[in-house]
Amino acid sequence: MSADYKKYWRSLEEYEAGDALDEQAAEEFADTPLREGAEPGRREFLLAAGFTLAGAALTGCGRAPVEKAIPLLRQPEGILPGRSYYYATVCGGCSASCGLLAKGRDGRPIKLEGNPEHPVSRGGLCAVGQASILGLYDSLRLQQPMARGKSASWREVDEEIAKTLDGIRKEKRTVRVLTQTVASPALNSQIRGFLKGFPDARHVVYDVLSASPILDAHRQTHGARVLPRYLFQKANVIASFDADFLGTWISPVEYTSGYSEARAVEATPPRSAWHVQFESRMSLTGTKADRRIKLAPEQIPAALEHLAVRVARKAGSPVLPAAGSPVPLPDEVLDELANRLWEARGRSLVVCGLPGAEAQVLCNFVNHLLGNYGATLDIAAPSYQKQGDDRELTALVDEINAGKVGALFLHGVNPVADLPGGEELAKSLARIPLLVSLSPRLDETSPLARFVCPECDPLETWGDAEPVAGVTAISQPAIRPLGQARPAIESFARWSGNGASAHELVRSFWQESVYPRQAGQEAFEAFWKKSVEAGFARVRPQPMAVKPFDVQAVKPMSAGRSSTGKLALVLYPTPAMPDGRHAYNPWLHELPDPITKATWDNYASLAPATAGRMALQDGDVVRLLISGNAIELPVLIQPGQHEKVVAVALAYGRTVSARFANTGPKWLEQRPTPGPNGMIGANAAPFLLLKDGSVRYWRDDVKVTATGKRRPLAVTQAYSSLTVPKNLDPGGGPRPIVQETTLEALGTGGAKHESEPVMELWPDDHPFTGHRWAMTIDLNACTGCSACVIACQVENNVPVTGRDEVMRNRQMHWIRIDRYYSGPPSDVEVAHQPMMCQHCEHAPCETVCPVLATVHSSEGLNQQIYNRCVGTRYCENNCPYKVRRFNWFEYSRDDRLANLTLNPDVTVRSRGVMEKCSFCVQRIQDAKAEAKLQNRALRDGEIQTACQQTCPARAIVFGDVNDPRSKVAQRMNSGRRYRVLEEINTRPSVGYLKIVRAKKTDTDKEGGARG
Amino acid sequence: MAEVQAVSRPPLILGDKSLTQITSDICSAMLRRPGALWWIGFLFSLTLLAIGATVVTYQVATGIGTWGLNNSVGWAFGITNFVFWIGIGHAGTLISAILFLFRQRWRTSVNRSAEAMTLFAVMCAGVFPLIHMGRPWMGYWIFPYPNFRGPLWMNFRSPLAWDAFAISTYFLISLTFWYVGLIPDLATIRDRAGAGLRRRLFAFFSLGWNGSFRTWQRYEIVYTLLAGLATPLVVSVHTIVSWDFATAVIPGWHATIFPPYFVAGAIFSGMAMVLTLMIVARTVMHLENYITVRHVEVMCKLVILNSSIVALAYGTEFFMAQYSGNPYEQFVFLNRAFGPFAFAYWTMVSCNVLIPQLLWFKRIRTNIAVVFVLSLLINVGMWFERFVIIVTSLHRDFLPSNWASYRPTTIEVATLVGSFGLFFTCFLIFCRILPMIAMAEVKGVVAHERAQRRNRK
Repeated sequence: MSADYKKYWRSLEEYEAGDALDEQAAEEFADTPLREGAEPGRREFLLAAGFTLAGAALTGCGRAPVEKAIPLLRQPEGILPGRSYYYATVCGGCSASCGLLAKGRDGRPIKLEGNPEHPVSRGGLCAVGQASILGLYDSLRLQQPMARGKSASWREVDEEIAKTLDGIRKEKRTVRVLTQTVASPALNSQIRGFLKGFPDARHVVYDVLSASPILDAHRQTHGARVLPRYLFQKANVIASFDADFLGTWISPVEYTSGYSEARAVEATPPRSAWHVQFESRMSLTGTKADRRIKLAPEQIPAALEHLAVRVARKAGSPVLPAAGSPVPLPDEVLDELANRLWEARGRSLVVCGLPGAEAQVLCNFVNHLLGNYGATLDIAAPSYQKQGDDRELTALVDEINAGKVGALFLHGVNPVADLPGGEELAKSLARIPLLVSLSPRLDETSPLARFVCPECDPLETWGDAEPVAGVTAISQPAIRPLGQARPAIESFARWSGNGASAHELVRSFWQESVYPRQAGQEAFEAFWKKSVEAGFARVRPQPMAVKPFDVQAVKPMSAGRSSTGKLALVLYPTPAMPDGRHAYNPWLHELPDPITKATWDNYASLAPATAGRMALQDGDVVRLLISGNAIELPVLIQPGQHEKVVAVALAYGRTVSARFANTGPKWLEQRPTPGPNGMIGANAAPFLLLKDGSVRYWRDDVKVTATGKRRPLAVTQAYSSLTVPKNLDPGGGPRPIVQETTLEALGTGGAKHESEPVMELWPDDHPFTGHRWAMTIDLNACTGCSACVIACQVENNVPVTGRDEVMRNRQMHWIRIDRYYSGPPSDVEVAHQPMMCQHCEHAPCETVCPVLATVHSSEGLNQQIYNRCVGTRYCENNCPYKVRRFNWFEYSRDDRLANLTLNPDVTVRSRGVMEKCSFCVQRIQDAKAEAKLQNRALRDGEIQTACQQTCPARAIVFGDVNDPRSKVAQRMNSGRRYRVLEEINTRPSVGYLKIVRAKKTDTDKEGGARG
Repeated sequence: MAEVQAVSRPPLILGDKSLTQITSDICSAMLRRPGALWWIGFLFSLTLLAIGATVVTYQVATGIGTWGLNNSVGWAFGITNFVFWIGIGHAGTLISAILFLFRQRWRTSVNRSAEAMTLFAVMCAGVFPLIHMGRPWMGYWIFPYPNFRGPLWMNFRSPLAWDAFAISTYFLISLTFWYVGLIPDLATIRDRAGAGLRRRLFAFFSLGWNGSFRTWQRYEIVYTLLAGLATPLVVSVHTIVSWDFATAVIPGWHATIFPPYFVAGAIFSGMAMVLTLMIVARTVMHLENYITVRHVEVMCKLVILNSSIVALAYGTEFFMAQYSGNPYEQFVFLNRAFGPFAFAYWTMVSCNVLIPQLLWFKRIRTNIAVVFVLSLLINVGMWFERFVIIVTSLHRDFLPSNWASYRPTTIEVATLVGSFGLFFTCFLIFCRILPMIAMAEVKGVVAHERAQRRNRK
């Protein structure tokens, strides 16, 4: 205290105490370690030294050594770490070749989305397409070529193949290339070029799901082997004879998109195409039909024939005066259908998925009489999505079995598992001097090959596709090949003596063959760049030599096929697993079948009456026997199936599925995922019949016997009706969970939504002033195809749980498709209802969480905070929709390669925490950040949730309901809009649009529901 | 008036015991070496406890998936056990606090054990909310404690948070009440013990009790005050537990009748458990003179009363479901009675409503063996009551697509078994180291009766 300053006192005590107080104060704080001004004492020194030492030691205690990752030496233009980019490419899931946008992140593709500009698939993508990204990161893929079962180098393999081929060329032995439909014109041309060098060479194409009869029929009726492009969007009346066009037939995404357009009840003008489905089992398409007619497999062609006779009569055509087969259903049904079709001439469409060209010719005849060619069927610019020729396949199988083939190249096919007589074929294949398989995995066929030359995943390589004439697409790589695999086009070029890369090959093919077909004036370079960027180019279709309809081809059906009165076996593809090539994929195995809701198995479906007659229950194992071939499968009782049919899915029982032995959590009471044969399901392909140049998918001589064993199926939905069991029914009818209306009701003033009176106990103290996210789901458009389920799984890092967990009702999918039956079990009506977190305004889950791990955002989202969750599961109990998913175990993330699909924007949840649909909050945040960067408001439609993006039917709309111009706000005002469990006042943010049934429903008058 | 009544009633303690006899009768049980029966019981309980500890360790290490729960049935065995044990815990406080305030003198023979039972039952119950969590190591997050996670607090609207407070409060008050009641007896033991650790321990815990009038007066005041404090807890704890269900939207849970229904059920099950334990104790520890047939009979009467309340609640639930006109609610109750879990429902009705009606007969009430069996059955019934409420409401709720079933795994069954192991292990240890019967209080009763008899002469 310097004397230069005047001393101010603060209190009388201080004044009286004078300097004594200062001394006292100095003493009081004498212990302060680092006193100001004083010399540091021993204690201070030790203190400071200790602190410094401890500090120095602590800085050394980093959590882990810092590893600097330098991903790219030269940063590619436009690619920023942590930001997604999209490459337009082509889906390799099936030969339909939908347009893709591959979403990349930090150098690796993590998600596939439909390309909205693509003229064929129009932005949608199916479950298989969504799941095919896992194929890229599949650890079963071969990393390098194999020679005689051992790993080899490409140089060795190529040299040996070239040497052997030289010998074959000299000896003039036969060379065959067996492929599935090659969507790529460049690869097709490459194969042609390769085969040109041999005296006896042929490229044989077959499809596991064959459309060969359609092409054959067109050769008979139109003089050209073409597959028409079906334009469902232009049809007002659709008649389908066993064609599951929404699920598995030829190009389901394209057809679903068209179908949904044809049934857009709120379009201007409103449309609702009338759809009749003839089928023997319950297909996805059948569930959407306005009229579903259940017939035994042999009766369906008869129904088609009788329809053809009626239409011919109306058209005044003398060609088919009478049918050769007995009439399988009441005349008035056929008459009504014929009338409807005739009235909608030129706006109707008859499609036929029956085997045998005979029925297909009749189908062509009906379409011809109705003037549908050129209107709803296009054969001038046809589809190239299926090119298989079963007649040539039969010839090739005979050649192979006779030992006449010198060299066989297999690409995209697995004949041992897919074809009947696979075992015998395997023996013959092993005898072929040069068998080369291009299979990326070791399946049933490729181990037999002398050389396995694994091809790349479609996302790793350049390629192209022409799904329909005039739409050529470029498949560009989204990543460099992960292993040593080589694109098929490069392999064939190499064996033809051309060492060019896939990029050069595709590009030069486009320069020579595609560029001349384009209409614009631009240079090739510009055309190429534009096409790569857009993913496709519209060019002139190749001219087709289509002749006028040849009535000579139309003949009455041979009446030979009468029912033997026994059970018929129907073999069918499922939308989740249409083709055994995907049998490696755990996502598709865990995807509930859209109709049966079964996972991780195939099964023998029986009609309820048939199962009752045979005293069989769900899960009883039966033995199916046809001429020496037998498989054992559990029974699944399928309402709506024909009583004479036992239906079994193809594409199961594949050797690659043995990998799932370790799937699922490990604990005391775990049960394995694969079945007793060590695989998922059993292969039903031996029951196929390859006869008369056509693959038959049904057999009428199957013997079904009970084995006494049981294998309960892993089904995700145990109860299938909206009406509670009879003995527990308090009355009151079906629950109004799924609601329906009719076209008449919509027409007469039901088009505007009547706002419901709200009784409110809670204070309205949470105004949503900014955005308010909401979703509408059009149940009329939804086909139940389940693409959204996989899209959500990929987007949100949803784990695979395994069969046992599904059986315990612990599947993790954030979105599920509830499926309800109504009506008598023999002839059910089906409703599909996507169900996910409803983001309730008054969310029952939020109030009960003791730790505030689930809370409401100011934008109306119900948010789950994983790292705060302690796992009481109270929220799950209190959720009326039961959409919350709990991590019962640490679900396996052992496959480090597969982990590369993980979306870095979404947390990977650990065990013991709850999770659920987030409305893809990461996409919302991303779009908001983007808009903010560009200093503009968010645009409607800018944010698309993963489920919405992939939906081929455009059933899901997401957006800001506070913006009255947004599509979601408009759909919320639709007269069809209702909310599930509105009466308990949870105020869900998800609105459902009622199903529109063509016929009048009794309950609709009361505004009630049908279940 | 009071004297006339007293004359007409049989004595509460038989054998015309002197005060010294009472002390030695009760203390000798602790000083003798334990008998074979005790050892068998103890080792058995310890084995069960070990099984429980093993499976809980396994469950915590592996995941709650080792229980049979699923995405529809998020609670089942664990919470059933929790509510069951909390219910058991209710009789203790009822006997010690409410009956004390009502001056029911028969309570003196059973209150000590009943309170001990309460503590052990609440311990058993407390385990379940913790281990049923997906991440039990984060369980402390449900308490409001100062933290560095920003302004993060727990959710005061959640019944689970209220539960945590209710149960911890209940446990603390019950413990204090029990301990305060023990002090005079602890002093007695201290005085009888020789020098050594035992004496020092009892001396410490008897808080310098000297038996003076002033000590007794303070003691009586504290005890009465604590009884008054504990009384609302008898009602509040199970009321709050019932809110875990009643505040939910799930049909079968969402019911205003739950608080009284749960409290009556809890006292019902607690009484049954007290009966079970007392009957075993009086036989094994030779305390027939202290826990008499009259005690058993009085408790049986309480059991009938509570059984009737519970029956009324069952009936009311059905009536309300029907009366509400709510089809979801109606379905839940039909499903309870006739659905897949009908066996559980009818076990519950038989054990809780039908079988206790036998106790209307005096011959049955006074037959110790029959009462013992009935008390066990009531406990089974009350366990099933909680199971029925929890599981049948969850397994089939609003959307039929969610309907699922539930099956316990061996891990879950072993966890329930382990909780019994914990309970009985604690109880058997208690029997050995502390006076099972409140000597000081019994002496009060005996002195009172003796005075009455003298007056009569």
